[in-house]
Amino acid sequence: MNEYVLEMKGITKTFPGVIALDNVSFGVKKGEVHALVGENGAGKSTLMKILNGVIKANSGEMYLDGTKTNISGVNDAQDKGLSIIFQEFNLINTLSVAENIFLGGLNRPKIVDWRNMRIKAQGLLKSLGFSFDVRRVVGELSTAEKQLVEIAKALSFNSKIIVMDEPTSSLTKSEEKMLFKIIKELKAKGVTIIYISHKLEEIFEICDTVTVLRDGKVIDVNPVSAITKDMIIEKMVGRTVDVEYPKRTILPGEKVMEVKNLYRTKILKNISFDLRKGEILGIAGLVGSGRTELAEAIFGAERFDKGNIKINGKVIKLRSTRDGKANSIGMVTEDRKETGLVLDFSVTNNITITNLNNVTSQRILNSRKEKDVAKRFIEELKIKTPSHKQEVVNLSGGNQQKVVLAKWLFSNADILILDEPTRGIDVGAKYEIYCLMNKLVAEGKSIIMISSELPEVLGMSDRILVMHEGEIKGELLGESASGEDVMQMIIN
Amino acid sequence: MLKIQDIKGKYIANVLRSYGVLIALIIIIIITSIIETNFFTIGNFINIIRQVSIIGIVACGMTFVIISGAFDLSVGSIVSLSGVVAISTINNGGGEALAIIYALLIGVSVGFVNGILISLINGKMGEAFIITYGTQTVVAALALFASGGLFVAGRIKPGIYKSIGKGIVPIVIFIVIAIGMQFILTKTKFGRQMCFIGGNIEAAKMSGIRVVANRTAYFMISGLLAGFAGIVLTSRVISSNPAGGMGFELDAIAAVVVGGTSLLGGNGSIVKTVLGAIILGVMRNALNVLNITAYPQMMVTGVIIILSVSLDILNRKAKEKELANEKL
Repeated sequence: MNEYVLEMKGITKTFPGVIALDNVSFGVKKGEVHALVGENGAGKSTLMKILNGVIKANSGEMYLDGTKTNISGVNDAQDKGLSIIFQEFNLINTLSVAENIFLGGLNRPKIVDWRNMRIKAQGLLKSLGFSFDVRRVVGELSTAEKQLVEIAKALSFNSKIIVMDEPTSSLTKSEEKMLFKIIKELKAKGVTIIYISHKLEEIFEICDTVTVLRDGKVIDVNPVSAITKDMIIEKMVGRTVDVEYPKRTILPGEKVMEVKNLYRTKILKNISFDLRKGEILGIAGLVGSGRTELAEAIFGAERFDKGNIKINGKVIKLRSTRDGKANSIGMVTEDRKETGLVLDFSVTNNITITNLNNVTSQRILNSRKEKDVAKRFIEELKIKTPSHKQEVVNLSGGNQQKVVLAKWLFSNADILILDEPTRGIDVGAKYEIYCLMNKLVAEGKSIIMISSELPEVLGMSDRILVMHEGEIKGELLGESASGEDVMQMIIN
Repeated sequence: MLKIQDIKGKYIANVLRSYGVLIALIIIIIITSIIETNFFTIGNFINIIRQVSIIGIVACGMTFVIISGAFDLSVGSIVSLSGVVAISTINNGGGEALAIIYALLIGVSVGFVNGILISLINGKMGEAFIITYGTQTVVAALALFASGGLFVAGRIKPGIYKSIGKGIVPIVIFIVIAIGMQFILTKTKFGRQMCFIGGNIEAAKMSGIRVVANRTAYFMISGLLAGFAGIVLTSRVISSNPAGGMGFELDAIAAVVVGGTSLLGGNGSIVKTVLGAIILGVMRNALNVLNITAYPQMMVTGVIIILSVSLDILNRKAKEKELANEKL
């Protein structure tokens, strides 16, 4: 009688001082791919946590296949056919594929039947259209393969509904294609998918219905065919966003950095390029093309065997990140949680760490000076945080990214290397980061931006270096280049 | 609907989390004082603090190492070796100044070896554990070699060396060291970087912090203080024992943990360690006063350590849960 496989009705959840979800009703039909979009803080993750039983709603009801249900926790959710695949995988890197798939599943009988487990694991992968050795250790797999293991794991619980949280955030284009194929496969099997993503293009490629959340309320539910990308963005941010990539008026000035014949065995092959004052230099290329290694070499985090780097005409020594910092280079790493921040430290402590000499008086740390610095950056970069003392783990991805940026601005870096600066952050915050980048180059700083999102590289860069297998394949002008140009260079 | 009970519960939990050690200390003191009137006297308390001051000095260095995300098991052997070398220097007519310098040099050198090895291989807790266990064994062997495995009575004339361990001098030294180190930890760049390294070593590296040099320095400080503790110990007992510092490393770690500094690294405090050292000392003294023999005493100490670690983990879990519920 009910067409919805899952229905959440009138869900309200309040946290001290905030209404995270306000009378949200969310329905998913059997066998559809349902996109859930919204800015960070819109309530997506809270809703999914309620669905998964991790947190309890203050009020509201939940129906599975038309019958009222209560979910008491993750295990209960699994038993009822609900699985969530988070951005950070829940896999154990040291165990095999088969073990990971059946972790927590095949515990009756108490003695593990390895052969049976392997056959079943192989079977699950095959049902997704893949076959690889299930004895391989998960740590050796690519991100895409790990995701496959997660999906197989979800299927091993006979999941009827699978939630995917930002599934493509670290996939390459071809891996993305593979994932979409799997999703179609799952759909054909009658599995329902709730798809959370910031990349709106994907939604048009793979989803049937889209629900937009904003400030804890459902703003809109529409079939994908009846809506456009601009309309979704407008509904997400509550205003019209004119341009995705804000324009700059200033032109790059003199050379600030010259990289000559940078070489590292098997990783970098004779890389040469210049960076100008006030320029955004994009680096495009596939994951594994040597982009990050190049950035780390320029920053001093990784060695290089041959070649040299000049800053303002002088060859610099780069033996450590400290040398990089001393030469006014800063690097916003691709993984802010792993290498950018100490998550349980305050906003203040994370910002001032790069330049503690600047917040001391007579070599003693001065907490008032630290506070002033933090407040200045919170204001300048519009970091949304209740206080400068807040632990950064409590901030949204976009705001965490701003804290990382602030830390390098405080170190007075003139050359900023941004590795995947907008990974995993929402449209509104992305736009803010872009505006910030423009503001910085207008102030005379130079930016090297590495990104897997081609439109971003094309939209933001003055020039684009295309990297493939440790080599620079060519250079394009940001204004005139197209995605096809970049892909052509990579292929040739 | 937020209930007042919840707020009250949270408040009590917070108080327990922040001052749990202090409250435990007070409870032990009150109970023992009621049972045994000899316990609550100024003389007894000075006695207790004098007893813990040597372990306390070692524990201060250990706190730095633990905050930075590592371990130092070599300190006990350093105490032994530096004591042996100092006493034999004096006995052989080398003079007090040279004795002190040798003792401190031994500490710093062992610390340097520990630190450079661990930081160069980018070692975490586990590697630090094994490597300092190795140096502990080597240094303990050196102490046995240097002394021929024997107790040596010190022929110490009245002077600086002799006065270091006398009366309340060890207490003063302990307090001065603790205050100095707490200051370094909370008020200097060096201390802040230490917390950062302990909090996320990869992020520290990518923030332009000299991770290898800094980490080596923490071990050198730990070694230096252990060497100094060797001087205080031998000055107090006017003799050296090649196994004099045996087990000090575990007592020091116990003081750090009981005080409430987390073994996960990233934060902690010398003040807590001082409290931890005192609580263990008071506990031992109370058991003595209550006529409880050495073996059950060891059991009680063990149980306290296990409780402290469990409490730390439970606290962390509780905090995570709170976070999950408050996070938007």
